Amino acid sequence: MGEAKPENWIRCDETGKEMLSRVLSGRPFIIPAPPLHRLALRLRNVVEISGPSNSAKSQVLVQAVVHFILPKEWAGIQFGGMESKVVFFDLDCRFDVLRLSQILTHRISETCGSIGQIAFDELFHDCMSRFLYVRCYSSSDFLSSLKELSYQIQRKDETIGTGLRLLLIDSVGSFHWIDRSNQLRGLCKGKNISPQSLQEAIVHELHELLLLQPLLVLATKASLFRTETPNEYQSTGDRNLLFREYMPAVWQSFVTHRIQLHPSDELLSDGSEPIRSYTSDWLQPSVSIKDRFIVRDDGIFLT
Amino acid sequence: MHAYYLARKDWKRSILLIKCQVVQKVASESDNESAGTKRKKAKAEESWGDWQVEDDLMMDTEKEDFKSRLAPDVTPNRQLPWLTGIELLSDTNQNKHFLPTGLEGIDALLGGGLRQGQVTEIVGPSSSGKTQVCLSSATHVVDRNFGMVLYLDTSNSFSPFRISCFVNQLHPSLPKELKETSLQTIMSNIYCQSVFDIFALLDLLHHVETTLKHTVKLGGSKLCLLIVDSVSSVIAPVIGGKNSQGWCMMASVGVLLKRIAYEHNIAVLVTNHMVGGENGTLKPALGESWKGIPHIRLLLSHGFRSYCQFCDWQLK
Repeated sequence: MGEAKPENWIRCDETGKEMLSRVLSGRPFIIPAPPLHRLALRLRNVVEISGPSNSAKSQVLVQAVVHFILPKEWAGIQFGGMESKVVFFDLDCRFDVLRLSQILTHRISETCGSIGQIAFDELFHDCMSRFLYVRCYSSSDFLSSLKELSYQIQRKDETIGTGLRLLLIDSVGSFHWIDRSNQLRGLCKGKNISPQSLQEAIVHELHELLLLQPLLVLATKASLFRTETPNEYQSTGDRNLLFREYMPAVWQSFVTHRIQLHPSDELLSDGSEPIRSYTSDWLQPSVSIKDRFIVRDDGIFLT
Repeated sequence: MHAYYLARKDWKRSILLIKCQVVQKVASESDNESAGTKRKKAKAEESWGDWQVEDDLMMDTEKEDFKSRLAPDVTPNRQLPWLTGIELLSDTNQNKHFLPTGLEGIDALLGGGLRQGQVTEIVGPSSSGKTQVCLSSATHVVDRNFGMVLYLDTSNSFSPFRISCFVNQLHPSLPKELKETSLQTIMSNIYCQSVFDIFALLDLLHHVETTLKHTVKLGGSKLCLLIVDSVSSVIAPVIGGKNSQGWCMMASVGVLLKRIAYEHNIAVLVTNHMVGGENGTLKPALGESWKGIPHIRLLLSHGFRSYCQFCDWQLK
């Protein structure tokens, strides 16, 4: 220790160029499907998609799933997908697999044009087998599934350990009321395990999982508590609705990006019948442009 | 489940806990082998000895003694809690069918009818036909031999007379004796139970769940439709105010309904009433938190003429 020269301290480990190439190859930029396309996300980012009840948040998740499970290239046709595995934690228990298969079918037919039924089935089967689905009926279910996932990743298990790039949580606030009122944990061996610590354990587990395997995390959050503020923007027709944050501070500091979706009152006419449009607004980092999109049978499209 | 315990007095809590654990132990022993029940078994084993598992979950995973304790349980033969997209799709196609409501317009809006595995909510002001939709669905589902119907009635709105009217409409040309027998058959497959408060509702739903876990399909009637008319009249009195116990019970009802629907391939139909919102408009009762519970929500409203009714569809 005493023999170490002072010059060793200021000798650099790597140049900036080397560091940039290392970081970009390890954590490449991902441009997800709209409406998340404004920012280039990277693995280990945690995106929170919030909005009131009927603002197409789950549709955004399904769109992201399709983008990730499609192959980059298949039989010479470019799909532009990420060709990686996806884990979907359904805390809300409202996921509809038929909707996923509908969007996937449309994407494949659109890109491929006309291919044989066998080839289509094979590609469909490949894509759907990259999609992994977990249902959780309580926060402790969720926590145990996360622990199991990290264990499987450590074991480098064939089915899920390798090639996982996306983790989706549908409605991270689903058990908010149950956890909040749950004081029975106090009985547990004299320790006072509050619902706060359950949430903290979940966030800690997610954090460990991200260190173990770089993943992009997309989580939806239902905005339950509305506080409408009267403001100057009323004249432009935009209602600036603020929603009270109810997730614990631990979760709030874990989230790196926030986007808010909102159904707009205007109905756009798309063909024969009026269709509802939605606006998306990046809150963190704040982007001044608001996107508008619609949800059709074959996915989400910007207008 | 835990919220339900909160509602009871402390001295009853230990008895209920023991009951719960016994039930889960029995459930894990007597399951028959199929993909869905294998998962349930794994879950039952996990939650047996409920407190020990929760303790383990809270602990830091980096500690070596935890790792050694977790690893032997997670053996290669243990059923993992996840399904691939293919398995999910095949389960949906095989097990989750559409049940007819008997009303063509509503069936068309729902894409075929009430879907098994999902919770459908019907919202509307009073006398907009919500109970009629429930009674009609019950009649048609039983008439076409999909299975049994459990009708949980919170406001004494179940009307056998109305059911017999629907049966008459279904089979107008049958002779009287055959109509009688078909009416008897239909009535014997609709189970009606009155519930007047949320504790009784939670109790009953738990009982239904445990019964379903133990029932092996005997090639005949299995529960396929669960109607709660109306769920808002038992939940609305307990929510609101500063205490979050009521919201917790509402959330528990929601989770329980969805679990029963999905695990046992049952269609759940609930009705909700409307309350005054901003600017004098009506909005569905039970607030924002309830909006996240049902899969599909139908809004019934009166038309300008008293015999006209319109139907609106909101998905999620």
